[in-house]
Order: sequence, then structure tokens, then C-alpha cells
Amino acid sequence: MSAFHDDDMLVCRCEEVTVGEIKEAIRQGARDVTGIKRRTRAGMGLCQGRTCERLVQQILRQELGTVPEEIGASTPRPPVRPITFGTLAGGDSE
Amino acid sequence: MKAFDTVVVGAGVIGSSVAYHLAKKGLNVAVIERGDIASGTSSSCDASLLICDKKPGIDTKLGYESIMLYKKYAQEFSYDFEFAQRGSIYVCETEQELEVAREYAKAQADDGYPMRMMDKHEIHEVEPNLADDLVGGIWTECDASATPMAVAFAFIEEAKKLGAKVFTQCPIKGIKLDEKGHVEAAITDKGEIKTKRIINCAGVWSPEVGKMVGIDIPIKPRQGQILITERTFNIVNRKIQEFGYMLSKFEDVNYTRKVSELVEKHNVAFVIEPTLSDNCIVGSCREFVGYDRKNDIEVMQALAERAIRFVPILKDVNVIRAYAGLRPWVVDHLPIVSGVEEVPGFYIAAGHEGDGISMAAITGKLMSQIVVGEETDFNIDKLSFSRFKKAKTATN
Repeated sequence: MSAFHDDDMLVCRCEEVTVGEIKEAIRQGARDVTGIKRRTRAGMGLCQGRTCERLVQQILRQELGTVPEEIGASTPRPPVRPITFGTLAGGDSE
Repeated sequence: MKAFDTVVVGAGVIGSSVAYHLAKKGLNVAVIERGDIASGTSSSCDASLLICDKKPGIDTKLGYESIMLYKKYAQEFSYDFEFAQRGSIYVCETEQELEVAREYAKAQADDGYPMRMMDKHEIHEVEPNLADDLVGGIWTECDASATPMAVAFAFIEEAKKLGAKVFTQCPIKGIKLDEKGHVEAAITDKGEIKTKRIINCAGVWSPEVGKMVGIDIPIKPRQGQILITERTFNIVNRKIQEFGYMLSKFEDVNYTRKVSELVEKHNVAFVIEPTLSDNCIVGSCREFVGYDRKNDIEVMQALAERAIRFVPILKDVNVIRAYAGLRPWVVDHLPIVSGVEEVPGFYIAAGHEGDGISMAAITGKLMSQIVVGEETDFNIDKLSFSRFKKAKTATN
């Protein structure tokens, strides 16, 4: 796995969070994926971390030297993919 | 571990604010938190700093004084907690609701708070996406919003500047009392911390900490669920709630809504607020389901249904996430901000139900005044822990 040296590289495309911002969150005390999310919004966007979560985990491992179990994943929450209020309410499913 | 003047248990918005205000008084403060900063209720709530959802009297006073403090801190603190003062609207569905609303707004305005009625024309002028048939509402000019997790991070950062030490991943395991029953030490995973004072700011989990000194804290988790929209155009410009929200929160509001079985069953009332990240937070329900933080598809369905009723264009907007949080509920809907007579050195700042973000700033300030033995900014006898003992004696 290549190391994350370029601090300007985008990690979370939805919320535009960079490697540098994730490293800063770790310096502020984030120790797992959820901690990064709360401090930077990485994983809070449209894809809900489906694209960036692995990268966030790798940066955490690089910076902290911890094992995957300690880094964790974000809390799984519905919906699995975006769904309109209309469809969810069940009024006008096409 | 070394000794501290005061140990704060819990680093949610309340504990963070208490720590900051204590440090500001010159006390040597340690914060111990079993998880991360803002990892419980403070990370699964909405972002409101409101008086419009409070009862006239001390409830509103706490909310108002807190907003004034946040406004000041937004200028002073280095960490941006995204304070935005945009007012709020309570919308009414029927003439009957309007009548109750008028009475409520008048009582608040008589007490000097910036609250007034808006007619049908006016609510649609300021919020064009509201359903056409809504008849009017209450406008509360001072209401604001802030990002709850950022509020906690901001208080913690300022507390640290004043010398406070923060220990995360550090659960409290027990509390040592001396032979006179006075607080002597907090026992944690990482060792014992000698201290004369412990402030219990553990929210819905504060009863567990109370048990460590043999007291019964009557706080119960009242669950809420929220839907988050995708980033989108301005659906609304500020916090909007349906007047029926009062009905879902308090027991003594006397009228019923014409709603579906699902909405009724899960005690759902519509609230929406735009965030500074261009998403909207849409809620919510109030249910007693223990410590369950899972979402329920039926509740999500009811939330979506009720939201479309008030803001029809939401029908075509995406939900990207749902979450559930636990409000620390107290039977009289007032927080506990108090010392505990039976256990000298033990204090409680918890039980804010859905008003913890709103009231965190003032709660921290009041608690710091109690701890150093100053007169509080205003009378807070109604927030005392001893009120439950009195209530018990009265009913026996």
C-alpha cells in the first residue's frame, strides 16, 4: 500500500476533505473512522463513505500504527442508497 | 494520575461546557469520557438553539440566556461552531392550532421575548416552499442554530487553553467517598483521580454514574429519529416546526391533530432545519424504547410522510442517511443543574431532554457558579436535584 504523503489529495469527494485535514483530525484526537467523520465531515456526503472509508482507514493505520479492529468502520445506517422522501413515505412509488 | 479540583464525567455538549466554565473560574479541571468527545447524544441530535419550543418561565429563560452566551462565544472562540441566528417559525395547520399558538406567543411576548404571530401570507413570503394551506405561525426572531459536535469541540478547545485535561476512552468505574461521605476520588480504567468534586454530565447514562454514589437519578432515554437530505437548493431558510411539536413534547397541550395512524403511533412531529453544509435535518419522533439507537423503517416512513405534508417539494428530494439519538428525559421537562445534598462534592448537570444543545452554554455557566459558591445569574431552585425528593414526599 502506498503511503499518504500528499496532504492536498482529496479523500472524501462528496465533502471535499483532504489527506491533510484527516491528519489534523488525528492530531486533534480522532482515533477511528467515526472520530474522523465528526471532526471533518469525511463520509457524511452523498455516498456516505462508500468511496472514502477505506482510504480513511488506511490513513488512520499509517498515522497511528493501529490495527483495523481499533479503527473500526462508520455506524451502518439506513438507507442503503439515497431514496426520495416520496418513495420512503410510500405515497407515489413509481 | 494526578489530583484535580474537579472531575467532569462526560464530554458531550454539557460536560464540555461545564469544563470550560469551571476552568474559566480558575479551577483545575479533568474531563473523563468513556468514548470520544461528542460521541453520544451530542452526535445524534439536531442543531437547534431555540426558545420557541420551551414553556414560558424558567424553561424559556434558560434557552434565551444560552443563545445570548453562544452569540458572544461565537465571536470569542477559535473553533467555529457554525452559529447562525436566522429565527424560527412554528407553523400551524388549523385555526384551532393558531388559537393555542396566539395564547402561547402572547405569554412569551409579555415576558419580553421576541415572539410574534405571522399570518398565512407572511409565512409563505419568508418560506415559499411551505404547503399552501398552512394558516400561519409564530415567528421567533432570536432563535438560532449551531453544529452540536462542533459546540462540544469548541468548548473543549477553550477549556484546554485554560489548562483543563481531557481523557477520552476513559470510562468511570467507581467513585470513592471518604468516611464522612464526601467525594474523594474518581476511579477510572487509567487509574484513580483524587478530587473533591465530581460533576455528572453523562446525559442519558447519568443514572449509572449516580448509582456509584448510591443515588437514584430519574432520567430516562426518550428516543428520536432523524432523516438527512442530500445537499440541495434552499428548501427552507431557517428552522421550521409544526405546532403539533408541542403536543409530542409535553403532555398538557390540549388538542389533537388529524394525522395518520403511523404518525400518531410513533409520536411524530415535523421539524426541519437547514445546515451550513447545505443538507437539511428532518425529524422527529419521541418514544420510550430503552437505550435502542437503531432506526426503524416504520418511523422513517412516518417522518417522510409528515415532512411532505408541510414541505411538499421534499417528495423529490433524497434522504441520504437516518440516525437515532437518545434524549435524557426528566418527568417535569426541566434539566437537573444542582449539587446533591446527600453526597457532598457530587453534582449533576443532565436531563435536558431535547434542549441540551440549546441549554449547554448557560448550564455550564450556572454549574460553575454553583461549584464555586457564587450566586447564580438567576434563581434555579426548579432545577435542583432535591425537587424529586419533595415530589415523592408529596405523593406518599
